[in-house]
Amino acid sequence: MTTKTKTDLSGRISTAMLLLWFFSYALARGIMETAEAPAVRVFFALLPIPFFIALIVTVFRAIDRGDELFRRIHLEALAFAFPATLTLIMVLGLLELAVGLNPNDWSYRHVWPMCVMAYYGGWALAMRKYK
Amino acid sequence: VKSRLKVLRAEKSWSQGDLADRVGVSRQTINAIETEKYEPSLSLAFKLSAIFDCSIESLFQPDPDPEHQNP
Repeated sequence: MTTKTKTDLSGRISTAMLLLWFFSYALARGIMETAEAPAVRVFFALLPIPFFIALIVTVFRAIDRGDELFRRIHLEALAFAFPATLTLIMVLGLLELAVGLNPNDWSYRHVWPMCVMAYYGGWALAMRKYK
Repeated sequence: VKSRLKVLRAEKSWSQGDLADRVGVSRQTINAIETEKYEPSLSLAFKLSAIFDCSIESLFQPDPDPEHQNP
């Protein structure tokens, strides 16, 4: 199997895992709008987690199978994303003390997608560097 | 480091993709090495020197500009 074929296959598996997680997350959010029983709410709140872990494992495996530049690009993405996430959380923490943030705008469910965006921001910068 | 990879590859009339498949890396990696944006690992440098049947020193040379050299 050539490097390109391996990359294509891992890309398809990652996409499939991403879709599975996305639909389970959308389902969980939808159910929690209507369900009232705490057990049901907790069950659906945790439903996307196994799919998300599977997605992360798939991404890790894809990175492990990639060549040295591919791994370096993801390492640089992480090196960008981690301090960016720290900065974001620190700023939100300080603003929360200063003015009190509205939890409908700045709760965990709003902050975690920003961590993902920081990672892809770092990934885009690294890709541009080695293009 | 300065790379002669592009010249040697052209002598063999290989595309970047051809060379990438031969050494088991992506075309992007070959391009990054040729444009001197990325310095290959020692194992990849050995693979490349074996493919072109030359020494690593003749394939890669230190950049004379000290600003481009790693500490």
